[in-house]
This record gives sequence, C-alpha cells and structure tokens, in this order.
Amino acid sequence: MAIRDDFEIVASQVRTAVQRFALGLLVIAAFGAMLVGKADTILVEHARVVALDLASPVLEAIARPVAAANRIIADLKEFASLREDNARLREENVRLLAWQTAARRLENENERMRGLANFREGPEASFITARIVGDSVSAYVRGALLNVGRKAGVASGQAVVTGEGLAGRIAEVGENSARVLFVTDVNSRLPVLIERTRERAILAGDNSPQLRLSLLQSVAGVQRGDRIVTSGHGGSFPVGIPVGEVVDTGEGSSVRVRPFADFSRLEFVRVVDYGVSGLVGGNSATTPSAPPAGVRIR
Amino acid sequence: MRADGLLAMLDRWGRYALPGTTLLFFVLLTLAPLRAPYLSGALPLLPALVVFQFSLATPERLPGPLLLVMGILLDLLLGGPGAPVGVSALGFVLIRAAVVNNRRYLVGVPFLFQWFGFCLLALGFVVLVWFFTAFWTWTAIDPLPALMQYAVVIVIYPLLAPLLARVRARDPLNVPDASRGTARPGETTS
Repeated sequence: MAIRDDFEIVASQVRTAVQRFALGLLVIAAFGAMLVGKADTILVEHARVVALDLASPVLEAIARPVAAANRIIADLKEFASLREDNARLREENVRLLAWQTAARRLENENERMRGLANFREGPEASFITARIVGDSVSAYVRGALLNVGRKAGVASGQAVVTGEGLAGRIAEVGENSARVLFVTDVNSRLPVLIERTRERAILAGDNSPQLRLSLLQSVAGVQRGDRIVTSGHGGSFPVGIPVGEVVDTGEGSSVRVRPFADFSRLEFVRVVDYGVSGLVGGNSATTPSAPPAGVRIR
Repeated sequence: MRADGLLAMLDRWGRYALPGTTLLFFVLLTLAPLRAPYLSGALPLLPALVVFQFSLATPERLPGPLLLVMGILLDLLLGGPGAPVGVSALGFVLIRAAVVNNRRYLVGVPFLFQWFGFCLLALGFVVLVWFFTAFWTWTAIDPLPALMQYAVVIVIYPLLAPLLARVRARDPLNVPDASRGTARPGETTS
C-alpha cells in the first residue's frame, strides 16, 4: 500500500513537472510568435491574408443571415418613424431640387471653363461593389472584411466609400477577400482639405467614433459645420470624397470631425479603383495606368 | 468489434473534437458583422470564455498547442496592422494553466465561485492583451473600450456558461483526476 502511494506521489510529481514544462514551452512559443510578427512583418501580412482567404467563405455564410436579421430590426425601427421621415424627406427633396439646378448650372460652366483652360482631368475612377462579410472591430481595431480581393481588381491603398462618404482604405488584400481599415482606426492618417477654406490638414483616427484634425496651419479658420473632403495627396485617393464635418472646434488644437459614413450600419461598400493605386508620394504628374479588370459601374 | 463500434467511435471523436470546434466557431464568430450594440464589441472576448469554460472540465481536450494555434488564428483574423500576433495565444494558454492549477476552487463549486474566477481571469486576459498591444505599437491606447468589452463579457458569462456546461454535462469523463486526490463530497470519482 505504502509503495503504491509513493508511486502515485512520484507519478503526480512527474506529471506536474511535465505540465509546468509544457506551460513554459507554450509561453515561449507565444512570445516567439509575437517576436516573429514584430521582426518579419511581411510574413505576418502574408499569414493574415491566407487566414482571411480561408475564413472569408465561412464568414460569408454567417454574414448573410446576420445581415437579414439586422435589416429586419432596422426595418422595424424605421416603421415606427415612417410618418416623420416622410415629411422630413419631402422637405429635403424640395431643398435638394434647388441644389440640383445650381449644380447643373455650375457643371456646365465648369466644363466650359475647363475647355478654355485646356485642363487635363485625372484618371476616371471605377467602382467595385463589395459586401461586408466580417467586422474586425475590437477595442484595438476598427475595420471590416470584404468579399472581394485581388481577383476583382482590389489593391492595397484604395479608397472605400459608402453612399454618405469615405469609410476607409484597403489595408490587406487576399485572392477573394480584403480588409478595410476604417478612418476611425488609430492607425488611419488621411490627407484632407477643408472644403470651405481649401486648407490642407491630416485627419487621424483614434478608435473613437470621432476623428481628429491635426497638422492644421491655423486652427482659427475652422468653423463648426465645415465639410472635410479628401485632398487626393498621396495619389491613391480621388479628390473631393466627403469624409465628415467639423463638430467641435475645441480650445487649443483639437478639432473633432464626425465621419459621414455610418459604421454601425455598413452592409455594402464600394472600393474606388482610381487606376493609380500604389502611387504614394513621388511625382504627382501621373500617367494613368491601365486600370485592372474590375466590375465597372460608372 | 461490437455492433455499435462505429457509432461509439464517432461519439468518442465527437466528444474529443467538440471543445476545439466550439472554440474555432467562436474565433470565427468574432468577425461576424453583428450590429448589436455592446454585444458585437464583446465578441473578441468570447473565445477566452470558451477556453475558461472547457478548461474547467476537460482541459485534456483543449491541449496547449491547439490553444496556441487558435490564439494565433484569432490574432491574425482580428488584428490590425502592427498588433502583436500571439498575444491571445499567450492569454489562452495562461487561462488554461490557471484553471487547471486551481481546479479545487473552480470545479464542483457553486456557480458564483466560477463566475468570480472567470471575472478574475478575464480581467487578467484583458489587461494582458491591452498591455501588449499598447507596448507593441508604442501608443497610449484608451483602455476604456477594453474595459467596456470586459464588462459586457462578464454579464454574458452567466448566459453562455450554462449552455457550454450543458454540452459537456453528459460526458462520463467529466470527473476530476483520481490521481490528484482532490475529490470532495458531492463529486464522483471513477
């Protein structure tokens, strides 16, 4: 009996020793993965892309019913405020019709002026419509996964827009999937213009719902309600995509911007294929390269 | 071979594969575009909940290397540029180790104790991930969203844990190790 107890004690000691050793190995392996990720970012990017491509069919299967459920909930909510919405929209329609007239007149005028000045337009953008199949929203990232990839002509750095305005840019591309980094992400830096003053600035995200306008030459010129549009500097973004409006000019240097895109209700987005993606910095005299085969809408 | 040999085998395989499959499902669910406020924010912590819950009863079916792979997969799928890959793996492994080493306080005790244990370990996990992400990207990340996630997952635990526990409740192997000799009244030993 005593021998058996001794044996059991020794056996359990050995077992705990092995367990402890295993834990140490696992911890070392986890740290190793982190260090490799830090040292070899290209390898990690590649692994991310492979993981995305593998996961995206599964996610797409999950995304459809989830989207349907989301839509039903949204429909029910809208149903409650149908009457007020109708009245508001009718009023807005009248206002917009007036704007349309103005816009038509300006467009004609603009075209004639361009003809006079022999102005060469930038390459025409085409759109790739994509479904959002996954959110990569956590406490640290603001982004989403799309069901289109390199095969459809998506490339890293392209702009992603919704009906309301700019949503973000393509960060990683797989064969049939891509990851969008929203403008609200802490890693997002966007060259923009203040539409009214044509002043350049950088719009930075900080993972909160609002954006921060920085590197302004003068904060004093910014007013609440100013629209912020992309400036096109850097080359891969078209000029003049609406991004947001200034909601808080703040004291000191913090100007807060509310993005137009509603990130909580995104389902479909458009990837803007501007034909010059990949051109970051360098000479601004662009030679429009042949745009890759994408789903052309415009 | 018995007549029910095939079924028994499938049954056994199913039992062994269940925790890993559940974990994989929750890792993928992390990316699902649920638009429920608060809930969608807490999704990234659900895999940690699964690891905790299954480590209580059947840690041998969530072996360390599997946790490592799942954690790295989660980081790859979720992570933004520059985020550390492997920090979730580290967290999973540590959660499992903590549960296994504290079974006497966590297994066969009232549910509140398990909840409390989960609160502690999940807090550790959140702090770990926050610290490494902040350290790795060398930016001061606002800890508030992470804490919000934590609060939501703590509230979700009582809803989800019984469901996961029910999955393994009928498991005949769901008994503490006899060799540890830590069985207390109310527990069964084989």
